[in-house]
Amino acid sequence: MLYGRIILPDVHLRYPLQGELAGLLFISLCRGGDIVPRIGVYICHCGENIAGAVNVEEVRKYAEQLPGVVLARNYLFMCSDPGQELIKQDIRNGLIDRVVVAACTPRTHEPIFRKAVEDGGLNKYLLEMANIRDQDSWPHWQDKEGATEKAKKLVASAVAKATYLEPLEDRFVEVTRASLVVGGGVSGMFAALDLANMGYKVYLVEKNPSVGGNMAKLDKTFPTNDCSACILTPIMVQVGTHPNIELLTYSEVESVEGSVGNFKVKVRKKQTYIDWDKCTGCGDCVNACPAKVPNEFNEGMNNRKAIYIEFPQAVPKRAVVDIEHCLNCAKRVMGTQPRIHSKTGEPILAPCEKACKTGACDRSRAYNPEGELIELNVGTIIIATGYKVMDKEPFKEYSPQSPNVITAMQLERILSATGPTDGQLKRPSDGEKPKTIAFISCVGSRDKRFHTYCSKVCCMYMLKEARLIKEKYPNINIYIFFIDVRTGGKDFEEYYNYCRNLGIRMLRGRVGAVDELPGDRLRVRAFDVDLGAPVELEADLVVLATAIEPAPALEELGRKMGITCGSEGFLKELHTKLYPVETSVKGIYIAGCAQGPKDIPESVSQARAASSAAAVPLTLGKVIVEPLISEVNQRKCSGCGTCVQLCPYSAISLVEDKGKLHSKIDEALCAGCGICAAACPSGVITLHGFTNTQIFAQIKALAS
Amino acid sequence: MTNEQAVADIINLSEGDSSLANEIRELGGEELLECIQCAKCAAACPLALAGFSFFNKRVIQAVLMGLRDALLDDSSIWACQSCNRCTEICPREVNPFEIIQAMRRVAIREFALPTLSIEGLKSLYDTGHAVYLAGAGNTRNKVGLPEKPPSTVANPEALKELQAILRKTALAELGIIPMEEPGV
Repeated sequence: MLYGRIILPDVHLRYPLQGELAGLLFISLCRGGDIVPRIGVYICHCGENIAGAVNVEEVRKYAEQLPGVVLARNYLFMCSDPGQELIKQDIRNGLIDRVVVAACTPRTHEPIFRKAVEDGGLNKYLLEMANIRDQDSWPHWQDKEGATEKAKKLVASAVAKATYLEPLEDRFVEVTRASLVVGGGVSGMFAALDLANMGYKVYLVEKNPSVGGNMAKLDKTFPTNDCSACILTPIMVQVGTHPNIELLTYSEVESVEGSVGNFKVKVRKKQTYIDWDKCTGCGDCVNACPAKVPNEFNEGMNNRKAIYIEFPQAVPKRAVVDIEHCLNCAKRVMGTQPRIHSKTGEPILAPCEKACKTGACDRSRAYNPEGELIELNVGTIIIATGYKVMDKEPFKEYSPQSPNVITAMQLERILSATGPTDGQLKRPSDGEKPKTIAFISCVGSRDKRFHTYCSKVCCMYMLKEARLIKEKYPNINIYIFFIDVRTGGKDFEEYYNYCRNLGIRMLRGRVGAVDELPGDRLRVRAFDVDLGAPVELEADLVVLATAIEPAPALEELGRKMGITCGSEGFLKELHTKLYPVETSVKGIYIAGCAQGPKDIPESVSQARAASSAAAVPLTLGKVIVEPLISEVNQRKCSGCGTCVQLCPYSAISLVEDKGKLHSKIDEALCAGCGICAAACPSGVITLHGFTNTQIFAQIKALAS
Repeated sequence: MTNEQAVADIINLSEGDSSLANEIRELGGEELLECIQCAKCAAACPLALAGFSFFNKRVIQAVLMGLRDALLDDSSIWACQSCNRCTEICPREVNPFEIIQAMRRVAIREFALPTLSIEGLKSLYDTGHAVYLAGAGNTRNKVGLPEKPPSTVANPEALKELQAILRKTALAELGIIPMEEPGV
């Protein structure tokens, strides 16, 4: 039962009333008694943002004569101190007891005006905003008259709702002082480390057997040409050994329930078919395994085994069995007992088992192919699931069937000492060192067929790869075909100049075709915009700077958490400029390329920003939850259960009371979406802050 | 090469001469590799305005791509008016004018220069003026000027000095114009 606290100016009463009834009584008190709602309307010019399209004075005059309105004022910037002071003074002077602010979006400004209303001495929920900027002056900039008329409607609607506003009390929820970080790349690792160093328990979930992410695949990193592994490995080791970090690699998030402060997360630990407690990462089983599987870590350019360690610096350094590709040598299907050799009487083991000295590889064990489902309780979540690079297949114009047409990530692996050529520059078809290399930029980026955005890092990584090659082999001819060279970033333009001075040839003009010629040669055809002429080039190796894409299943993960993706497929931040690491779901934050293409410095910055944002609720220990939630009038509830099925937050359950079923809403879980209130066939669910009375009053005002 | 041909011909980059860029840098175009093809120089270049195929920016790009033959087959570089606007305005201190001069030095070593330029050089050696109107004496008299300008033309000793200097340049080795020592 909710205790509706009624606060009137100078009169504080406490009535044990339920839901809307409390509000209605409050209103009838106001109406029936001497006290009638006294609404103050404040119209903001927002400089020219509103006043440039809306005749503010006309709207003010209109508002003044609306029922319930006792005063209407306008001001250049309502959110400024003097603007807020207007509201506070009017409340203190006893002129008003409800506030309507016609200004910008409540998303950014409602907290400011609520605070002003509270400072003035009113319950802060006795405020309503009319968004006459984002929803009026901006979109109707060309139609000043229409914009003014629409502003009047929006103000009338807000005033109508304000008449029926009820005072509400904030709720506080205890916070579980732990955090979940999804994704073990450079962003996720930094986010996890920062939170762990602040003293909070962190669960780091990574889908691959090792942390490291895409950065672990890179040879060197711009703009300083640090060896990627050299700067990343120590971070991986810290993550692996930190007492506050529980590393859950080879695991994926299955479901997320709850809200800020108290998320319940189900994580599936995929089956490794190896006892990781016993495995030492020696690699003996890997050497013994005869199966060959394209190596994902080397971008498919060589093979790994069916039993494998992801890469030499893997953390944790443990083997996993890729059960789909396992050959079940010696008929040693997982979970079966070995046959006994008829002569020796010894069990016949598979080579991996035989090689394992610790007993970690034991195929007799009955492993659950589904792995293990564990449940975590955390207060905040950071999503840092990174990106994937496009492969070359869709680009038919660039002869993807040729082994010598490779992606930049493949070249990265070729250049890396842990790659398929041990760092030797060899082209895939014949292992020869190329004499002429052509780089093609914007492959799949700035391309309506694939991704309209700029992948942001390609210009720099092409220059980096070209530079690494040119510095080692000055005689190799390198051409970079580009549309624009985008090297915005600290020390990036200097890096570009350095590359030009090395004699790397830059050519403006998107490549139209790469043709295969006899003898493993490739012909690159383009138009040199600077010469104003078509050009062609014979190259031994063509490198495609393919686009950065959202990680697979990112949208699905977003859906599990209630976060939407933008049209380009990356997770959407709450506000591009002001809340870049927050999401529309309180307590869930984003970092790195899950939010959009980024380089390493930016990813790390964002990760550390996300960790500090995610630490705020943990540090406070409790979070304020707005009282804009649903409430059931249990006496009238028929117990049909419609709302139980519909609630996206699993906040409603059916409970038995005196032999009768009725629904009950968990205040901590309710997010105030209003689906239950809209669907209730008996109309006995109230969404506070959006009651039926309030909404119908708004509609009536808009329609009149 | 006319404009039309420049559009029609496909340039084969594989036949590019990678030594050209270094040659240009050695012959005065030291800052060649600083160019990012922003085209500010071209916006101020009389060659570009007059419709020549290879104006400053394009000369630089062609040099970077090693297109020696394309540049030698074309006479654009000889039409440079030496106004030096490009050098004044270049935001990267590339000194495009010097690159055109360096390209002229490359061309002259290959004897790839138009007849007019040979005549200009001969006139420079003979009179001290690349363009000297010998028949202008009467006109000069009419406007109250001496028949000969107060330069090497009126001063045979100065002309001798100039010729001595020219004989010490690379021009003498090339033998493009007769450069005998007077009285020898």
